[in-house]
Amino acid sequence: MEEVFNVLPTMLKEKLIISFSDLNEVEELRLRVSRPVEVIANNQSTFLPYIVTEEDGSQILGKLSQFSIYTIEEELKKGYITIKGGHRVGLAGRVVTENGMVKMIRDISSYNFRIAKEKVGIASPFVKYLYDGRWKNTMLIGPPQAGKTTLLRDFARVVSQGDHVRGIKPQKVGIVDERSEIAGSVKGVPQYTFGERIDVLDACPKAEGMMMLVRSMSPHIILVDEIGKKEDVDAILEAIFAGVQLIVTVHGYSLEEIRKRPSLQPLFQNGTFERFIEISNYPRPGNITDIKNRKNISLFSQKAVY
Amino acid sequence: MKWIGALFIIFSTTWLGFYFAGRLSERTKELRAWKLALQSLEAEVMYSQLPLQEASRRIAKQLNGQIQLFLIDFANQLETSALSAKEAWKHSLQEYAEKVAIKDSDIQVLLQFGETIGMHDKISQQKQIILALKHLEREEQEAIDSQSSYERMSKMLGVLSGILIVILLI
Repeated sequence: MEEVFNVLPTMLKEKLIISFSDLNEVEELRLRVSRPVEVIANNQSTFLPYIVTEEDGSQILGKLSQFSIYTIEEELKKGYITIKGGHRVGLAGRVVTENGMVKMIRDISSYNFRIAKEKVGIASPFVKYLYDGRWKNTMLIGPPQAGKTTLLRDFARVVSQGDHVRGIKPQKVGIVDERSEIAGSVKGVPQYTFGERIDVLDACPKAEGMMMLVRSMSPHIILVDEIGKKEDVDAILEAIFAGVQLIVTVHGYSLEEIRKRPSLQPLFQNGTFERFIEISNYPRPGNITDIKNRKNISLFSQKAVY
Repeated sequence: MKWIGALFIIFSTTWLGFYFAGRLSERTKELRAWKLALQSLEAEVMYSQLPLQEASRRIAKQLNGQIQLFLIDFANQLETSALSAKEAWKHSLQEYAEKVAIKDSDIQVLLQFGETIGMHDKISQQKQIILALKHLEREEQEAIDSQSSYERMSKMLGVLSGILIVILLI
C-alpha cells in the first residue's frame, strides 16, 4: 500500500488511514473526479466522505508519470499504468482517437487502483494435484476478481523455487505478461518475490510472447494470463508440441461453460489440458471450488478456503 | 597624495567598465549553455524517455555553472516537494535569475517553456523544446550583437571616464 499512498493526495491518505483499520483488506480504490472515494474491501464497497477535486486528479496523474506525461504515452494508450509494487491504476476519461485507434486518454475522470496482493503459499495445497513426475498442463477458471492471477503468480513461485518436501526440482519458468499483471514489472523488472528461475516478457502480446519464449528462453513451463483468442490457442498448441508445459487462466464461471467456447475447442479436442481449477469469488476471492481432470471428474470434493 | 587618489578613481571606474563588459559576455555564455541543456533534454525525452527529474540530473552532469545548480534544484523540487513540474520550474528559475546576468526577456522565454513542461506526449514536448530553442537562439544572437558592440565600449568607457574625472579634479 505504501506505493499507492505515494501517489495519493495527503488529505485523502489521512482519511484512508483513519477510516480503515486494516488496509491490507483493500482490493480496489476508486477515485472519480467530483465524486466521493470508493473503497472496495472484501467484496464490499464503502464510500469515504472525501470528494475528489480536479486538482487532486491532476496531482495524481503528475505523480504517476513523475510529472512527465511523455513517459506514460504507451500506458495512456492502453488505459492503465503499473506502479511500483505491481499495483495497477486503471484510467477512464475522454478518449482521443486517431485513424480509429485509441491514441490516449485525456481529461482523466476515473482512477481505479487495483491493489496487487502477493499471497505467498496459496498454491502450495494444490501442488499435489498438479504435479506427477512433471507439471501437468493446467487451466485456472474463474470470474473477474476471483483471484486467478494471484493464484497463477504463486504457481510461478512454486514452479521456479521447487518444493523440497515433495522433491520437486526448481524449473525454468517463462511468463508472458501482456498486462503487466502477473509479475507487475516496472521498467522490465518483476516486483514480486518469485524464485530465481523466472523470465518475464513484459507487456508482450500473448500469442507472440509464447512463441518468443519457446524459441529463445527454453522454458520448462510457460504461464499466461487470460487466454481466449484464436491466436492464443494456436500458440498454446505450438508450445505444447514443443514440449513445454503450460499453466493458463481463463475468464469464466465453470469448466462446462468454458468447454462450450468455440475459440477454445482445439484445446479440449486434443486433451491437452489435464487439470482444471475452478475459482470463485464467493464468499471471498480466491475460493477454490473444484479441481477436475481431463475426464471432467472432480479430484477434490472438499472446499478449501484459505 | 593627489596621485594616489587619482589612481583610485581610475582603477574603480575601469573595474566598473570591465564588470559591465563581463555581464554582457556572461549572458551569451549562459544562453549557449541553455541551448545545450534543451537539446540534451530533447534527446532524453525522445529516445531514453526519462522522466523530468532523472533527465535533469543527467543533463546537469554534462554542464557546469549556475545552470547546473538550476537543474539539480529543479530535480530536487520534483522529488521532494508537492509542487507540479510547472511550479517547480518557475520556482527554480526565479532563484536562478537572481544569480546570473541574463535579461528579463531570456527568463520570459524559459518561463513560457516551463508552462507546458511534462504535460504533453513525446511529439508535443519535442515541439515545445524546439520552439524554446528557436526563441533562445534569437536571444543569443541579440546577446552576441550587443556583446560585440558594447563590450569593448564599456571597457574603454570605464578607463576613459576615470581619466576624465581625474583631469577635471586636478
